[in-house]
Amino acid sequence: MLGVGQKFPAFSVLATISTDPKNAFTTITDQSYEGKWKVYFFWPKDFTFVCPTEIAAFGKVNADFADRDAQVLGGSTDSEFVHLAWRTHHADLKDLPFPMLADLKHELCNALGIIDPNAGVAQRATFIVDPQGVIRFVSVNDLSVGRNPQEVLRVLDALQTDELCPCNWQKGEATL
Amino acid sequence: MEALYASFPEYARDLKLNLQNVLKQTELTEQQAWGTAVASAIASRNPSLTQAVVGEAAARLSPAALNAAKAAAAVMGMNNIYYRFQHLSGNEKYAQIPARLRMQVIRSHGSDPVDFELWCTAVSAINGCGVCVASHENVLRGKGMTEDTIVAAIRIASVVHAAAAVFDAESALVTA
Repeated sequence: MLGVGQKFPAFSVLATISTDPKNAFTTITDQSYEGKWKVYFFWPKDFTFVCPTEIAAFGKVNADFADRDAQVLGGSTDSEFVHLAWRTHHADLKDLPFPMLADLKHELCNALGIIDPNAGVAQRATFIVDPQGVIRFVSVNDLSVGRNPQEVLRVLDALQTDELCPCNWQKGEATL
Repeated sequence: MEALYASFPEYARDLKLNLQNVLKQTELTEQQAWGTAVASAIASRNPSLTQAVVGEAAARLSPAALNAAKAAAAVMGMNNIYYRFQHLSGNEKYAQIPARLRMQVIRSHGSDPVDFELWCTAVSAINGCGVCVASHENVLRGKGMTEDTIVAAIRIASVVHAAAAVFDAESALVTA
């Protein structure tokens, strides 16, 4: 599994971004949302029980992530059509403000090393990736344990509070 | 700005003439001078002065530069207090404790980094943080800016700050 300090892998997947079938799908790659921080979070399967709760919870704090120049991207190994069906039929997911990645070929999840060896689907993994594409935080929960987006926000805040002002640079440190 | 100049009281005529002159100094580009004026006005807190300076600056600066000058005043309003406490306390332990304050705009302001640094220096002079003045001035000279240019910006900061106090006093006396 990829860890902190490693480059988030290159990928290109279809994503579901709306419940309107006409413009429900778009292609998202590692180059999308240039200059932004990214919060990727994966769940095992659409239409299961723990998932909508935590996905909706990420949706609720989406504006807090946006305030921090971060784009939230959810994903699983389900297809874009399964995402669309789930979004359409689940009240909590109808207005989800972030894309649902469809890693149908398992390419991204395999590259990340988060395919559960027994279940064959994505583990409940979360990655914070900086604007340079470097992984700065990783967590994986057991398939049955949901996540707390507030904790992810707290970590993102901590990552973004670098002391960028020369006022605290010690002698010998590099300048901007 | 004409209305502002006209509203200077007689006892502050030196300040009025200085303000007219320091904004035209040949050592500074128009962006450097007006960005410094904007950042200094915000740091000096007088509403009518801020309104006049920002209004005039909007016609002379790109939106990105105007926004960056405001951002310099905003972030240094915080950093000047935080780092001034560190050095005034005389306790070196404080420098070892992470600030845990967001200051992302120092990197993401989207304007010229050297000009931004100059505006930060001017604000630091107004807010009276010795360590911030020293470190930002040091960065500026490291980037090739001369003392003549730096001090030209400090002239603007000095006059704007003094003018703000005068306008505060005048509006207090009008309402008294």
